[in-house]
Amino acid sequence: MSADAVPAPSASEPLMRVEHVVKHFPIRTNSLVGRGGPQLRAVDDVTLEITPGETLGLVGETGCGKSTLARCMTRLYDLTGGKVIFDGQDISELSRRQLRPVRREIQMIFQDPYGSLNPRRRVGSIIGDAFAIHGIDSKKGNKRSVQDLMELVGLNPEHYNRFPAEFSGGQRQRIGVARALALKPKMIVCDEPVSALDVSIQAQVINLLKDLQAEFGLTYVFISHDLSVVRHVSDRIAVMYLGKIIETSDSARTFDTSRHPYTRALLSALPPADPDAADRRERIVLSGDPPSPLNPPTGCRFHPRCPKATDKCVTDVPVEAPAFDDPPEHPVACWHPMTRAESLNDFTPEISDTIVGLDPVALETALGATPTDEGTS
Amino acid sequence: MSVGRLTPDQGPDQGPDQRPPSAEDSIAAPSADPIEGRSPWELSWRRLRQDRVAMISLTVIGLIVLMALIAPLIAHWTGHGPNTQYRDSGALDENGLPVGPSSRFLFGTDPLGRDILVRTAYGARISLLVGVTATLLTVVLGVTVGLVAGYFGGWIDTLLARFIDVILSVPFIMVAVALVSVFSPSLQIAILVIGFFSWASVARVVRGQVLSLKEREFVEAARSLGASDRRIMFVDILPNVMATVIIYTSLLVPVVILVQAALSYLGLGLQPPTPDWGGMISDAQGVYQQAWWYLFFPSMALVITTLAFNLFGDGVRDALDPRMARLLQK
Repeated sequence: MSADAVPAPSASEPLMRVEHVVKHFPIRTNSLVGRGGPQLRAVDDVTLEITPGETLGLVGETGCGKSTLARCMTRLYDLTGGKVIFDGQDISELSRRQLRPVRREIQMIFQDPYGSLNPRRRVGSIIGDAFAIHGIDSKKGNKRSVQDLMELVGLNPEHYNRFPAEFSGGQRQRIGVARALALKPKMIVCDEPVSALDVSIQAQVINLLKDLQAEFGLTYVFISHDLSVVRHVSDRIAVMYLGKIIETSDSARTFDTSRHPYTRALLSALPPADPDAADRRERIVLSGDPPSPLNPPTGCRFHPRCPKATDKCVTDVPVEAPAFDDPPEHPVACWHPMTRAESLNDFTPEISDTIVGLDPVALETALGATPTDEGTS
Repeated sequence: MSVGRLTPDQGPDQGPDQRPPSAEDSIAAPSADPIEGRSPWELSWRRLRQDRVAMISLTVIGLIVLMALIAPLIAHWTGHGPNTQYRDSGALDENGLPVGPSSRFLFGTDPLGRDILVRTAYGARISLLVGVTATLLTVVLGVTVGLVAGYFGGWIDTLLARFIDVILSVPFIMVAVALVSVFSPSLQIAILVIGFFSWASVARVVRGQVLSLKEREFVEAARSLGASDRRIMFVDILPNVMATVIIYTSLLVPVVILVQAALSYLGLGLQPPTPDWGGMISDAQGVYQQAWWYLFFPSMALVITTLAFNLFGDGVRDALDPRMARLLQK
């Protein structure tokens, strides 16, 4: 592969490329006066690659835009900007009709096993929906294939005629998995598929997903706020904060050589299985809540909560690039990436009073007075 | 090992008692009687059947329908046509006043010497016909508009929602009077007028529900499978709105019957001599001091009909939305 400017040039051709995807939601204050109002910047310039057969974990706090990004990938949302390229085809501008063949290739598993199944329809018809919509098979063949799917995901095929209300949460999620598998997709976007489930059931569903991946060579985008789940399933992990990807690396590196302070803080929230280690571990508690995506912080979006923040973080948006001598597959968007030995608790932010807490307009004026110190880092 | 084991696919009693799922079921070869889930509709029907008031109301409605259906038979049995006047054959007394209930005229007669029983029975036909057709018109219109407005949103919704507001703010009786006087009074006009002025409230309720339903994940799931708008609207959303629509429908019928009676009472409904309840009540006003039965029987018919429909509608609501019933009991 030739040297590419885009981070993480992988050996094989990516199945999906997400290029500078932006999704803003207009906040409507009045139904008659649309547009021009404030925008909720759910996803702001995200670039990602997904290689065939891999599982990409997408982690981040609630409200950081994970689900929005997922819905941009599956084109449930129209993009505000950027491109989604699937299998060499730009799908971001396709019309509904043109999207239909693409829909067969990308499927989605939803978070809420109660909300994602129509309570008024029988399970057989829910799973068979895919066949009905795409006009596949004869009537008789359809029932057979739906029952095969049910068996595949560990449901009793005789429950074909039951309603979703007659199943448990875990079983319902299996129904959702069966529905996603019906069209034999290449890629499945799992939007927090297990967060609504009991821990013991989570393991079953995750193992089911892993088995299916091995059997059908599926590519997963696995979204979760639960790091231990993501660690278990993912080959690579992308960490999101307030609409941006801040660090991407392979799963093992995320857990032992993460560079971004936010990733560190996120990891420190993960309870180790070993109780002795749990006693010894260092817990990093971030101050404050994630800022509002309506009015995200300037520069690095993490700077108001980051112990390593400096003036540069307030003024300049960090560029995604490998830190230190990291491989190109491990880009991080931080002006002050962390070495392995460093601990976040040793730092305190060094931001001069003149620029802290200013809104972007006031900041512009403040910047004129305070020259940015280019030399640091 | 089939000692004394009841085979489930035996006998005609497959209906009410279904066996709970057991481990056996999953292992056994596909049985003749596959596990059938109880649909939400079926569960609601079961609840409705246990509601005694609703069942009695349903019986009363059935009797009224029967009365409407066999009105010509009643006329035949009594030997009195609905519009025939029996002035000279005992329907009026020596002073020319109507006679009260007797074995010949069970409900008495009116000042023109017509049999009130027969006319009340014929009146049921009009009331039910208008009640059912105008309600159906209302519901079809209201559901369609509500579904389209709620699902598509945007300017379509804005436009339709404003239109709904306009319709709801028009004074019904005034426009009805105007319309009926422009197009001479007839059954069709009555139905159209009632339908046109009632759909807006149905549309508004349906729109509200669709607005919330279309954000549900199962709609997103359908969309990610590539389902068309029409399919999502009718296969995924509509069945979830139906419970509300049915409740609304069952409570709308008595309202429509009353409105129709009111129109007739105001002289805007059917023209005499067609027998209908509103018109009879209006006529009876002048003579009720001499002939109470003329006011009493058509009014009772109207009251019983609307009461039965209302109570049945309440039962339907409780059956379809058991949460509400439980809340009310506490």
